[in-house]
Amino acid sequence: MVKYLSEEWATEAKKKVLAELDPKKDLKGMNASLMNVVQNVPPDQKTIYFYIRFVDGKLEELLATSDESVKQKPAEFTVTGDYTTFVQISSGQMSSAMALLKNRVKMAGNKIKAFTITKPIDTFNACIQKLSTEY
Amino acid sequence: MFFCFLLLKSFKKEKSIKSLTLSILKGNNMKLADVLETTQKEPHCGMCKVDFLGTGLCPAGKKHGYVAYWPEGRMELARALAENEVKPTDALLDIVKSCDLCGICDRQCYFITQRRPTQAHQAMKDYVKTLKPNMIQHVAEDDVVKDLRAIVGAEWATNDPIIIASYTRSILRQPPTGKFYIVMPRTKEEIVDIVKLAEKYKIPYLPRGNGTFFGVVLQTLLAEPATIEQGIIIDLLRMKDLHIDPESITATIGPGVTSFELQKAAHAHTLRANVAEAESHVCANAQNLGIITTWSNTYGWGTDNFIDAEYIDSTGAIQHLSDKDVPNPYASEQGLLSLSLIPSVIVTQLTLKLHQILPDEDAVFIPFSNLSDALDLAHEIAQRNLGVSLAVLSRKYLTEFISPTHEIAEGFNYIAERYLKLNYVVDVICDSHSKKIIEELADITFGREMIKSLILGSSKIASMKDSDLLKMISEEDNPLKAVFAGPLRKHFEKGLAASPRDLVNAYDSDLRDFFEKLYSKPELTDPIWLHSFRILPCRMERKHMWMYRGGYMPGDKKTILKVVDALEKPAKENNIDGAFGFLSYLERGKLAHLEYDYYYDHTDPDARKRVNKAIVESWRRQFAIRGVTPLEFICSKGLHKKEHILYPFPPGLSKEDLEHFEELIETLFGGEEKW
Repeated sequence: MVKYLSEEWATEAKKKVLAELDPKKDLKGMNASLMNVVQNVPPDQKTIYFYIRFVDGKLEELLATSDESVKQKPAEFTVTGDYTTFVQISSGQMSSAMALLKNRVKMAGNKIKAFTITKPIDTFNACIQKLSTEY
Repeated sequence: MFFCFLLLKSFKKEKSIKSLTLSILKGNNMKLADVLETTQKEPHCGMCKVDFLGTGLCPAGKKHGYVAYWPEGRMELARALAENEVKPTDALLDIVKSCDLCGICDRQCYFITQRRPTQAHQAMKDYVKTLKPNMIQHVAEDDVVKDLRAIVGAEWATNDPIIIASYTRSILRQPPTGKFYIVMPRTKEEIVDIVKLAEKYKIPYLPRGNGTFFGVVLQTLLAEPATIEQGIIIDLLRMKDLHIDPESITATIGPGVTSFELQKAAHAHTLRANVAEAESHVCANAQNLGIITTWSNTYGWGTDNFIDAEYIDSTGAIQHLSDKDVPNPYASEQGLLSLSLIPSVIVTQLTLKLHQILPDEDAVFIPFSNLSDALDLAHEIAQRNLGVSLAVLSRKYLTEFISPTHEIAEGFNYIAERYLKLNYVVDVICDSHSKKIIEELADITFGREMIKSLILGSSKIASMKDSDLLKMISEEDNPLKAVFAGPLRKHFEKGLAASPRDLVNAYDSDLRDFFEKLYSKPELTDPIWLHSFRILPCRMERKHMWMYRGGYMPGDKKTILKVVDALEKPAKENNIDGAFGFLSYLERGKLAHLEYDYYYDHTDPDARKRVNKAIVESWRRQFAIRGVTPLEFICSKGLHKKEHILYPFPPGLSKEDLEHFEELIETLFGGEEKW
């Protein structure tokens, strides 16, 4: 059991994605970088930056940190929302696209490109849901 | 003395209606199951909260506010109890007690959807009599409701499952899954506190106008993105501030004001508001759909309608669109990922433009047998900026709206199609100068008197399936010309000659006196009044639920016909009854709005599945046409400028884009088997 959005969770999640998802078949060879800004993370309501970057479908980076310097990393999309919403997404209760439709998260970035990566991102989320996680 | 006699006569008549209603119900010991068919099909139009017939409103609803106390909510409760979705609580006893079966709702509801809510109320009264004291739940106050009550007062916030259940299918999914609260604020400051409270407890919230939009959408695969899975429903009904400023020709309103109420207040100053259907809350409709009307070629859409909006954002801050410091309030997203059925802010006040009513306004109708010809004329009228209200109406709308019952509408529809070849009508409200020009442009026209004859004679028309006169007309080269412009017109009008007394024979006997008196009022047969007050559209829900299709597009005929085809084919392929509704223009015909409807039985799971398939297929087809924005992708963008939503024209999805579209649909709604 790993704590959601902890460094340990990030390490385990990356391992799992690299081991279980095929860059071409599952992740459609996508090239994308995404910064998730998770607000009001308990217990002290801080902000955690959950950053992912794919190159040709391979997960190159997966970070979860409160260190603001991560904001310097290149991100084509920034998704901002509350901790409770990200828990719903990461635990499979709601897809990220549905969270966007329901105004639970705000997204900055090219929506046309976002439209093309919703499926592989959904597959990525489904994979990390399988981690034994403490929310 | 004579006056006293009239009063007494009128009183006796009123009393007799009530006693008749009661006598039908008395002693029948009705069961919830007996009224299940009608309560299941209750469409949640919300017209019972509008005094559109001059009957006054349901006294219990007016006093208590919550949907549960209005006829609409009682019907929903009767269904939820019958289907064991909710258990009785103390609130149920109060709701049942608050209804004295006065019959106002029967008159209102029968006029619109041919339902008798008193039957459901009686069934609930009889059901409550069967409950033993230990079967009634006492609902404990939790922290959230305690805090909500501290904001709005004890009476106006609740966590009672019975009251919550009455909101099912008009904002909550059926059956509601999570933990919900209902709160009815009176002021914007209270809403600010509610938003902050939701943030404190980390629960979502959703504002509710009259729920009509949800009544339609929640039956489809759009249910999930349209609502919340738990949280606070902010019912805005109590916020009814309304001020007309005749000098600036504006109205400033709160979010509880309905279109009918605003129009009535505006008309008192010989002004007109550009409003949606009578029951819709103006602020919610403006925010959600931008106010779609037949008046849009002249009065506009979206931000054209208002001067300023006050709203509360997700942090609880009160903002105004006119504030210099707010980020560009009119900018909007386009495209597939811009779909958002949940508003990002709560509109608490809107200052709307009103319009002067011209003293010589009149109505002109130009009948057509085919859409292509109707579009040619309507577009020409739009380009020339003739008239104030302009639309192409379908036979379906014309016959359904003006007929007192669905059965009469079906008969009328048959006659119009089979004998008269009356399939579309270009429908114009204009001044006398424009009328002359339109009459010159069109071969055949008819006016207010003919509409009055069609309304009052609708039941007679419907019964004329074997009429020799109609058979004779249908054999003419141009039956429309023969009926509306030729020598047979006189015979047709004479044949129709009908009075309110003839019309109301179609109603239940105890309602006939009331409806005879009602149809004797000039406004009920006046097309200008009916276009302004829009009390008839919910009649399309009499038989079945419907789903709005269509949206915005370039105003050229070629594009419009392509869109009609894109909507018609999925309906046919999925065995859904689809029909053109109406088309109106914007900006002198540069843009058009089309409503095409899918009618289906929402109580039938297979029909729901088919309608969902047709919805997805119709998106796919519409997105492939350049310049088309389906209606759902307009939702929640009514505060934005149409120029930012509709321009640049979307290019039309490529084959590759359509593949991504399939993936997005699967991500959002799962595969077809889940619909």
